[in-house]
Amino acid sequence: MALLKKMLAQFGIESERVRLDWVSASEGDHFAAIVNEMTEQVKKLGPFSRNGGGKNG
Amino acid sequence: MAKPKIALYWAAGCGGCDVAVLDINEKILDVAALADIVFWPIALDFKYHHLEAMADNSIDLCLFNGAIRSSEHEKIAKIFRAKSKTMVAFGACACYGGIPALANLTSRADIFERVYREAPSNDNGNGTFPQTVTKVSEGELELPELFDIVLTLAQTVPVEYFIPGCPPPVDIILKVVNAFATGQLPPAGSVIASDKTLCDECERVKEQKKITRIWRPHQIIADPEKCLLEQGIICCGPATRGGCGLRCIKANMPCRGCFGPPPGVIDQGAKMVSAIASIYQGSGEAEIVEMVNGVVDPAGTFYRFGLADSMLKRKRLSQTQRRA
Repeated sequence: MALLKKMLAQFGIESERVRLDWVSASEGDHFAAIVNEMTEQVKKLGPFSRNGGGKNG
Repeated sequence: MAKPKIALYWAAGCGGCDVAVLDINEKILDVAALADIVFWPIALDFKYHHLEAMADNSIDLCLFNGAIRSSEHEKIAKIFRAKSKTMVAFGACACYGGIPALANLTSRADIFERVYREAPSNDNGNGTFPQTVTKVSEGELELPELFDIVLTLAQTVPVEYFIPGCPPPVDIILKVVNAFATGQLPPAGSVIASDKTLCDECERVKEQKKITRIWRPHQIIADPEKCLLEQGIICCGPATRGGCGLRCIKANMPCRGCFGPPPGVIDQGAKMVSAIASIYQGSGEAEIVEMVNGVVDPAGTFYRFGLADSMLKRKRLSQTQRRA
């Protein structure tokens, strides 16, 4: 995961867009909290577009 | 029957692919006896207007090496496509972007800044940069435009066959020439190499894939019998197509990935990161940090030859245009 994040940084991709977590089947609240957190985090970053919406795609 | 016509071209490449063709040694005479070479910049003095004058579909086989990164490359690729019955992406750069595609980790603006202004050997006080058109007293001078992205040949024009490698090995070149001569070319779209990974073909002893640290090739003398990955040396064998004849492995050097992804893998670099993750056995934050520090340039290591062909293709830029 750390290696992936280092590599994604080289591609200009924010590390906040990637997260790895473990949640047990009995931890519903924890799961919901993580999903909400991640959703908020990605919303703040805005939509992902390759090259910031440039033409290169 | 007229002899078939073969053309060879180089775009963004180093010339190594052309040298590989010459490495077939005396067999080149067989090729010359078998076919007319109608265009080959490294060896024969043909001009673009000769090419433009040819009828469409008059070239039987075009071996095109190099990536596409300028308006000239793109223009010539399109002309060759129109003139050729069979178009072959020849070598890692034409197939996957190759080393030139590492430029996709930066931008054209940054490349110009570095090459024409910052480089210590420069004296460019006037800030002169290459222009596509320059007016001089004799008239207008033109230069091809450098794209903001390096592309593969198949991202530019339709391609029938892919011959990977940096450069393609002689036995594969001969195989293609023979297949072409006898009319036994494989179905269009084929990658002419092995359908296995390099690991499948590697004869080194593989015991247990568990590593606790990464060694760069210059930091360690590798055991020539043992799997390089098991010795902690990043070897791209698990994420690379075989068929290369294990040239690097036999020289006790790790695979760098020049044959591109194996069948079924769409992103060579991602596959390689996943391979490393699955064998890494370190524990604790400090050890992981050390391991990650050991991979100095992950994007350049895992996408050394495949960046243009990867899912991301290039670094994201805040604002960019392919053509100015």
